[in-house]
Parts: sequence; structure tokens; C-alpha cells
Amino acid sequence: MPDTYFYRYDDFDRTLLSERVDQFRDQVRRRLSGELTEEQFKPLRLTNGLYLQLHAYMLRIAIPYGTLSTKQLRKLAEIARKYDRGYGHFTTRQNLQLNWIKLEDAPDAVAALAEVDMHAIQTSGNVIRNTTADHFAGAAADEIEDPRIWCEMIRQWSTLHPEFSFLPRKFKIAITGSPNDRAAVRVHDVGLRLWRNPEGQVGFEVIVGGGLGRTPIIGKTLREFLPKEDLLAYLEAVLRVYNRYGRRDNIYKARIKILVHELGVDKMREEVEAEFASTRDSALKLDPQTIEAITSQFAPPPLPHRPAMVGAVEALKIEDRDFALWLKSNTAPHRMAGYRIVTASLKPAGAPPGDASAAQMDGVADIADAYSWGEVRVSHEQNLVLPHVAIEDLPAVYAVLSKLGFAEANVGKITDIIACPGLDYCALANARSIPVAQSLSNHFSNLARQHDIGDLKVKISGCINACGHHHVGHIGILGVDKNGVELYQISLGGDVDFGKTSLGEIIGPAVGADEIVEAVDALVATYLERRREGERFVETYRRIGAEPFKERVYGAV
Amino acid sequence: MAKNLTGDLTVASANRLSDGVVVFLDDSGHWTSKFERAAVARDKRASEILLERAKAEAFSVVDPFLVAVSQDDDGTIEPLSLREKIRVSGLTFQAIAAEAVRYA
Amino acid sequence: MALYREGHIAPIDDDGPVALPLAEWLQAPTQAVALANTDQFNALRTHLGRLKLIALNFPKYTDGRAYSQARLLRGRLGYRGELRATGQVLLDQLPFMLRCGFDSFESEQAGFGAALARARTLFSVVYQGAEDDRLPASLLRLKRRNASEKLAAE
Repeated sequence: MPDTYFYRYDDFDRTLLSERVDQFRDQVRRRLSGELTEEQFKPLRLTNGLYLQLHAYMLRIAIPYGTLSTKQLRKLAEIARKYDRGYGHFTTRQNLQLNWIKLEDAPDAVAALAEVDMHAIQTSGNVIRNTTADHFAGAAADEIEDPRIWCEMIRQWSTLHPEFSFLPRKFKIAITGSPNDRAAVRVHDVGLRLWRNPEGQVGFEVIVGGGLGRTPIIGKTLREFLPKEDLLAYLEAVLRVYNRYGRRDNIYKARIKILVHELGVDKMREEVEAEFASTRDSALKLDPQTIEAITSQFAPPPLPHRPAMVGAVEALKIEDRDFALWLKSNTAPHRMAGYRIVTASLKPAGAPPGDASAAQMDGVADIADAYSWGEVRVSHEQNLVLPHVAIEDLPAVYAVLSKLGFAEANVGKITDIIACPGLDYCALANARSIPVAQSLSNHFSNLARQHDIGDLKVKISGCINACGHHHVGHIGILGVDKNGVELYQISLGGDVDFGKTSLGEIIGPAVGADEIVEAVDALVATYLERRREGERFVETYRRIGAEPFKERVYGAV
Repeated sequence: MAKNLTGDLTVASANRLSDGVVVFLDDSGHWTSKFERAAVARDKRASEILLERAKAEAFSVVDPFLVAVSQDDDGTIEPLSLREKIRVSGLTFQAIAAEAVRYA
Repeated sequence: MALYREGHIAPIDDDGPVALPLAEWLQAPTQAVALANTDQFNALRTHLGRLKLIALNFPKYTDGRAYSQARLLRGRLGYRGELRATGQVLLDQLPFMLRCGFDSFESEQAGFGAALARARTLFSVVYQGAEDDRLPASLLRLKRRNASEKLAAE
């Protein structure tokens, strides 16, 4: 039986990783000795995931396609204990951030990562970043094909790419293999959606120029259908056009979305297709054997037949109301009858969203070993996922997750808040995010009430860079600084569900930190009064518009 | 970078190169992690000199800059901006401990 | 500005032709041209056989446009003469530059010549093809697999 049911490093991968560690160690040595200035060193440390934050260095560790083995998760816990303060922050790009790293320890920390085939390569800087994927990949009932196969192809092609290591700006790619997009592909520099065309072939819809940040834009379709074997040739064409013509005169206009906007999508397509005509039949065309070799490594675990209807589970549902709620919100359909996908909520009441202690990481690893084929996923909503749990095992999994504080039945609910680290950690932030998330989370902690309110995505960013994805929150909250005072702008109506991707609109003047809970309460009350049967918050908003919400908020505040 | 708060009193701050720890320039021209030991410049000219000194001592730190502060009658200094208050005092919430299994 | 070429730790003498800016060069083509990283170079196409030196510029080392120019000149247009990196050229860029087809470098950075001597050995594995004819890991894996299958068949 293989060690993992996803890509396994071989000697080539390990050699490259260890040589990269050596190179980084030498770069750090030269910085500490003064051979390199900070200006020279900064791009070098960033392309190895090392930021300088308010209080310390921060190491952003790549979790390719959000998939972790339990061995890797335990190593992350060990590194957090040894080189940090014993906890980490899972991010909206399926990465893990350690907030208290020392520069002098950073080479040892990345060497420890390499022991379990992990790294921090290209998790920052103006390069192709870690490619993200649907966190239910390989398990979801609605999946056409596992997107991680293609993420892995992109990982290899983009790693230390000699031509694309000094792009105008960062470049983020996401892939979904399901019609119900869980990877937010329309708000990435390139989004790839696997679909089956009328001829029955599976290929990619290529979406370009989406993104949040200062200028939020929904991506446009550059190509309706790209054959799978052309993926890298086409991406190389897109990146070459971007590298040559993307703006470099203004950091706020350097993302590919601005190039697409300024050229127009038709001209962009023309440029890319012209380049693709030359790259298409080059060595970049994927060989069927290569595709097969990588695909075979993502062969799903041999899940044995397990009962789809379990008496003990049905009994517990009646007996334990919280368990029944947890089943509804924190488990999702698996492609195999008898199994569910379980989301471990990293959003217990009052906790900093997405944070986990080393002990909790170890705990989740133990659960995954016992009940989920040794595999854990990181979701872009900052939760952890156990992809293959038998329905029979759900009561046991619920019990052990409860002990870890990760069984809050709130996935997709108002307290499943996405928040960036904000001004408590981040050198770019204007306002704090985590304390705002905590007060909302405490205020709305009643689970029955959360389930009554239903699906409601609250997303909080501490600055315009939008790491908390506030533009696509049903309720988006953006921290701003006004003369040294933290204020929060509220927007409504953002969404990332496929086909319905929309950007929220600001409803009025920013409110103070102490007024946020009251404002969100007013929004929720408006929804509860006006909703129709079965209508989610964002649907009610779309139907009745912003006015009733505004009146309630600015009348009440 | 420091927020655009105008105050007459300033101290020089940076992050230590080796570990990123927040440091301040003291009266003897050394970098210290103890905020209360920071040398205080009392006017615009003194601030310029302080920043020059900080930049001259920048070998072991990253990107020195000035922080606007206020001072009590008893001499206690405090940064004006929230960002700099957080740099001095740390997180404004309790982070989870390494061995904690629940956030309390 | 010191000029480096592989095989020499110390800077070498620049005794070749002087590279002219493209606009000037177009008036009277010589054996050497210097391109800005925004220049289009289709006009060079017919002169490539006569060109001995093309200099590409890095106004800042974080401005990576010349990497694409280099790959297009080498890979697409088949230019085989000297390809020089000028401007802000730092030793940590060398592995990338060598892979994109640069073979001479102007740099003022201390230790540049020694770094150049080691640059091709920093990474013994590459993940993608470029202009240095190194085989990417994916192809080496295929070769190895096919070889072992062949061996098993024999």
C-alpha cells in the first residue's frame, strides 16, 4: 500500500528541494554577514516564504493543493514547537503561516520541512504561487476529475521557473474539478475549471484576470476549452505575455487583471493564442505517459464498502442536537455511499479564525490516521478537512474532534469567519481583523440560532489587499484607518459560488470596532424578517437590494 | 512605515535582523528591545539626527524609522499610533498555547 | 562595469564590438545591438546570422522582462551569438539567467565571478525545459521508466 494517496516525491523532487534549502541557507548567511543588503535580500527571502512582520519574521509554508499527510501535519506541529510559539495559522490560500520565526533559524526550519517533502518555495514574491484546489478534491460527490493532478503538473513546471521568477507581481492559480466551484476560480490570476465538453472530452475552461485586492475584478474566460495536454504550453504563453507586457510602473496596477482590463480580453486572447501557437507543439505538450504517471499517484484509497445507513448514527442524531447540527453543517456528500467528508472547524467560539496549536495539529493527525486514510486537507475557508470518513465512524470522529475544540457545528455559518491576521501581526494592515472576528464569533455562538440564520459567509480583511476576501463575503468587512482610529466598512452581496461570483457593495459609512456586532446583528435581523422560505442571506439581499439593510444598520447604529 | 501622525516627540525603531524582534535606539546608540529605554527626540531637528544615528547603526537591524510618541509627566512614553502600540505591547488577544487543545 | 563570462573567475576584457541601442543600430546595423526590455525585435530577424552580441537590460534586478526576451531570441529566433545581461545584475539571478540563455554578464557585485563558476551546479534537477538544453525531471523519469521496463522485458 502506498504511503499516501497523492503525489509522492521521488529522488528528483527531493534533490531539488535539498539544493534549494542549501541555496537559501547561503543567502541567509550572506545577509547576516552583511554581504547582502536588505534591498537585495528581500526578494530572495520572499520567494522562500519569509516575510518580516510587525513583531518577527513569518514563514509561509506551501501546502500544495491543500493536501497533507499525517506525517507532514505532525512535522508542522514539531516545527511550530521548535522554531515558533507552538501554533500556526491556516490561510485562505491553503498555506500555513508561522508567525514568530527567527531569520537565523529559518534555514533549519525549511530543512525540517524538506524532511517531509514540504517547502516554502514561492509562497511570496512576484512569482507563480502555490496552486490551490478544491479542498474536497478526490472525494466530492460532484467531481468530474481530481484537480490536484493538474496542480501537481503546475507545481513542477512553475517551481524555480527561470523565465517567470521576476514577474510584474504575484501570480495565483486555482483549479476546480467540480461544477460547484469550491476553489474560487473566478477571483484568481488564472482560474481553471475542468469540464466535460459535448464531445465527452474533459478539458479546462481558462479564466484570466480575476482577483480581489485594491481593484477587485471577476475573471474573464480566455478559452472555453483547453485540451488537458496543452495546459503547460498554454500557461507558459499566458505568463510570457504577462511577463513582457504587464505593468511595472505602479505596484497597484501590476497584476494581470489590469493588463487584461487595459488590453481588453479579446486582444489579450489574441496575444496569448499567438504565443500559444509557438509553445503548443513544444516539449511543454504533456506526454500521455507523464499524465498517466502523475494521475496514478492520485489514485483514491481503496475504500471498503461501509453501510450508508447506520442505526447508531441515527440514534445519536435524535439524542444529541449538537451532533445532528454538526452532521448537517460539517459533513458533506462523498462520492462513495457509506462515507462523508468531514470538516474540522478551526472556528470555535471566540477563537482566532484558522489558528491551530501544535497539540491540535497532532490531534487532527491522530484522527486522520484512525478514520481518514491518513489524509488531511486545508480549505480556503481556513478549516481542516478529513476527506474519507465512514458514516459508521462519525460519532467517534465527532467525539475526538470535540475534545480538540474543532467540532463546532458552524461550517458555512455566520461564525465560520474568514479573517486575515490583521494589524496584530501584519506590517501592511490598517486595522485589526482577529478581535473583530472574535467578538462576532462570541456574539453569534448559539448553534441553533446559527443554523436558523443558515449559510452566511462573513469575511474580514485588515486592509485593501483583501487577504480576508471581504469582497466576496455575503457580509464583507474591511478595516480602514482614519486618523489613527480603526473603522470598518461593511459590504453586502459578495459571493464565490460558481456562476454567481459577485463582488460585494459597500452599504454606507464605516463603523467603529465597537459598533460592528450591532451592525451585523441589524443585517441578520433584516434578513430574518424579510427572507422567504428556503432563501439564503445573499439571495434575500439580491432580491430586496441594499436599502432595507442600510436603513436597519444606520438607523440602529 | 510609521503612520502619518505628527508629534514632536519621536523614538527610532526597527526590527532586529537576526530574529525580527522590535528594537529601539537607546541613548548610547545601542538597539534595545526595551521600549522604556528608547532615546526620545524632542523636536524636528533632534528627530532628524536620531534617524541619521539609527541609519548609521543599521547593520544589525532592518529599515529603521521614527515612531511618534507621547510622554507623561512622570516620563513614561507611549506610541501614538495603534500599530506602534501593538509593536510595543504585542498581540491584543490571547494566542493559543502550543499544548492547548482548546482556545480559552 | 566588470564583464564576466563562464570559465573565467576574474572579469574579462571587453574587446568586442560596441552594442548600439536598437534605434541607432537600425540606421546602420553592426555586429552588436543593445535592447531595452520593452523593445520588439522582429527587425533583428534578418540580421541574426551577422550579430555577434545582443545585450539585454535589467533596469532593476526585479524587472524580469529580459528573461522572456532572452528565451525568445534563443529558442524562437535561434540566435547563437553572445547574449549579455546588463544593468542591475546580481549573483542570485545567475541560475535563472544561465537557463534563459545568457552567457555574459556585467556586474559590480563582489564574488560574482566565483558565483558564476558555481551557478550551474546549484541545482542538479530542473522541472522545466529552457534554453540550456537540460532535461526536465519529467522527461528523465520517463526515460528511466522506459529503460527499466525494457530491462524487465529482456
